[in-house]
Amino acid sequence: MEHPILFISLILEHLGAPVPHTLVGEGWAAKMSSPHMTYTWLVMLFLILAPKLTLGKVELIPGKAQNFWETLVGGLESFMADNMGEEGARMMFPMLATFALYILVANMIGLMPGFMSPTSNLNITLGCTLVVFVTTHILGLKFHGAKYIKHFMGPIPWLVPLMFPIELISHFARILSLSIRLFGNIMAKETLLGILFMLAGAYFAPLPILCLGVFVSIVQALVFLLLSILYFSGAMEHAH
Amino acid sequence: MSSDRKQAMKMLADFSTIGMTVAFSVLIGAWFGWWLDQKVFNGRTEPWFFFIFLGMGIAAAFLNLFRMARRKDL
Repeated sequence: MEHPILFISLILEHLGAPVPHTLVGEGWAAKMSSPHMTYTWLVMLFLILAPKLTLGKVELIPGKAQNFWETLVGGLESFMADNMGEEGARMMFPMLATFALYILVANMIGLMPGFMSPTSNLNITLGCTLVVFVTTHILGLKFHGAKYIKHFMGPIPWLVPLMFPIELISHFARILSLSIRLFGNIMAKETLLGILFMLAGAYFAPLPILCLGVFVSIVQALVFLLLSILYFSGAMEHAH
Repeated sequence: MSSDRKQAMKMLADFSTIGMTVAFSVLIGAWFGWWLDQKVFNGRTEPWFFFIFLGMGIAAAFLNLFRMARRKDL
């Protein structure tokens, strides 16, 4: 397949950076300038600058921009409060909202020609998932202390040697399923769009897939958010 | 979003994990048993840990299925 044209990579190549032509390059500089890294920084820059530029001063009677951001943040918070309770939602809101917005924008950015989704690289999604996984167990330890191990023991005492590895295996399966679902969906979207652009881009062949891509991006961002919420609330509640 | 749509979204997220959890539980169990056999015990215990942890992976997969099936909020 043709190599997609990514404008940040082109600019960096002109500036003399060692942009890799494989998925992940060799050496420090090549790794830093590989497309999924540069587009992650673009998404971060967008997420920092967009509220700064549109929001300005926060007022009592919201204008257009402030209305938009208030709806977005308020909607996210009430969505989280429904699933993990007011208190947990307020505690975990900064982290989970960051994940939701970042993954949403990172999924959507790949729909534009010349951009790619950083989430179509397994390294990015695995990074997000590992943060969620570690935070889950930190929350469990914080809420239950040493008794958190009861979550892994099952209900019957003499079945503990059997249940403990089984629970560990299902916890590790969460990492894989969470990261590979996001990666697989977005990578499939990107690859399909690339192939359709190459075959019949002049006849608008990718158009239906672009519409589907918007849907997939939103659904996958929501699913990642929801599953992290479910894991967190599972770690916070009592073992039964 | 209305509350019906929200509920549907939650179910979608929950149940979309089933298939992958089954596959990955079996794979993780089998890989861990193989790793114990080959790397820790240098092949002296050859098939045993592999089969034990494969069984545990399969048990984990079915335990998850069982828990999903017994949910009260459906």
